[in-house]
Amino acid sequence: MLQITLGIITSVGGFLEIGSVTTAVQAGASFQYQLLWAILLGTICLIFLVEMSGRLAAVSKHTIVEATRERFGFPFFFIVLVGMVLVAFLVLVAELGGIGLSLQILTGIGFPWWAIPVSFIVWILMWKGTFSLIENGASLLGLVTLSFAVAAVKLHPEWGGVAHGMLPTFPGDQKAKYWFVAVSILGASISPYLMYFYSSGAIEDEWDESYIPINRFISTFGMSLGGFLSMAVLVVAALVFHPMGIDIQKFEQASLLLTTALPKWGFFLFAMSMLFACLGAALEISLAIAYFFAQGFGWNWSEDLNPARDARFCSTYTIIIMLAAVPLLFGVDPIRVTIMAMALTSATLPLAIVPFLFLMNDPIYLREHRNGWISNTVVAIIVLISFVLAVISIPLEIIGG
Amino acid sequence: MKRFLVISIALVAACKSPTPTEQMDSIQSWLAAAGMVGDAWLRHTTPDKYSRQTLDLTRETLLQLARDLLKAPPHSVDSVALRLVLTRSREHVARMARLIEEKNAPDFARQLDSLRADRRVIKLLFDSIESGQ
Repeated sequence: MLQITLGIITSVGGFLEIGSVTTAVQAGASFQYQLLWAILLGTICLIFLVEMSGRLAAVSKHTIVEATRERFGFPFFFIVLVGMVLVAFLVLVAELGGIGLSLQILTGIGFPWWAIPVSFIVWILMWKGTFSLIENGASLLGLVTLSFAVAAVKLHPEWGGVAHGMLPTFPGDQKAKYWFVAVSILGASISPYLMYFYSSGAIEDEWDESYIPINRFISTFGMSLGGFLSMAVLVVAALVFHPMGIDIQKFEQASLLLTTALPKWGFFLFAMSMLFACLGAALEISLAIAYFFAQGFGWNWSEDLNPARDARFCSTYTIIIMLAAVPLLFGVDPIRVTIMAMALTSATLPLAIVPFLFLMNDPIYLREHRNGWISNTVVAIIVLISFVLAVISIPLEIIGG
Repeated sequence: MKRFLVISIALVAACKSPTPTEQMDSIQSWLAAAGMVGDAWLRHTTPDKYSRQTLDLTRETLLQLARDLLKAPPHSVDSVALRLVLTRSREHVARMARLIEEKNAPDFARQLDSLRADRRVIKLLFDSIESGQ
């Protein structure tokens, strides 16, 4: 029971990050409730993917990366590695930038000044911390993001309109922007790094087949509650920014999200929510990238090992964190990086998901626990939708400026 | 091939610059956000530094947006009136940022009211552009 509760808390506290918040705020501010369907679709897909990641690890004792390399060979694995690591790196830049921006609005010191201290804190937590500290500690702090749900309820949304937003509709105007934000929401929700992190975590925690029901419960309830939180952000933005005609372009504007519903603490709750959510995500992404390299190249890996015993694994996240700080030092806008990273995530989803679906249907790895037709169909359709939308809307948005 | 490339680049460049409507929406959005920041500061719900910096950012962005819009103002609008009201609202925002430093809430509230009045004028001007298009 304790494990399930902790798992759900971890999923809820760790769900929001700069990508999901930024895209939901932009969607609510520009299109009111019209893009809630994108969060719903992304959350459904994520529930299936996270459940599959845990099941693969529990049954086969392989992480996704190990199984991909073993099943498809190194040349194919290398293509997946390049694509996934590039996108995950951009997301890491965005998350470190998100921490910097949160500190900027709290202290008045510009985010580029925070690039090195923030990267150092992330690195030291990785170097000194254990897997459970990273998994549970940051997520417990991330529970402050529940304030978005409180704000949404306090603002008394029109529930009929919210329900209507769950069904896809065509936009009246700003078509390119509408689809681009939809794609970014899908990219923010269906983050492949979460799958790699989750399956590696299952191996770190030594899951076996007895964990399959727990895994199903945690992924379903945890991700659903996380999805609701993301919807709450969109609903609050729709009620606060949309009526005033504010189209969110900068983090400073988004910082006022909670001040209407929670006047006394709203500003600080937003800043703290973003700070902890981005910190948790930065730790998870750094770990996911290091897992990717270590598992793919057959190095020693475990966040619980002393760094001397998995030196290449630790060197990988050290280098990645250092590199991610560089664009921020030069003042690259983290919000622009976030939006682009989320859209690119959607565009590269097939690269991560298609081989994963093959693995999930392979009797050698999953035996009698292979995917059923429902999970295969749902994931394949959502990934296809995300990919097609990304391929169409990214050039349109770039051309449209 | 070379001609095709030149035409493509020209087309992309032409598409890349935002339309006057988009620029106008952006200006209105930033003015609305400045109003919200002002309200929040008056209610003591945001720190001084954040409010001042956000108003400074608003002023800089408005300057850039106004410059772009006034380079080729739409024909259906009185460009002198537009320039005047955009300059005035930018000045209100700049004064609001200074008044935060001085912690002068009464004058700040007056500037905020003037900004709101200018925003209404800008909206009317922009509506006339949209109806003319």
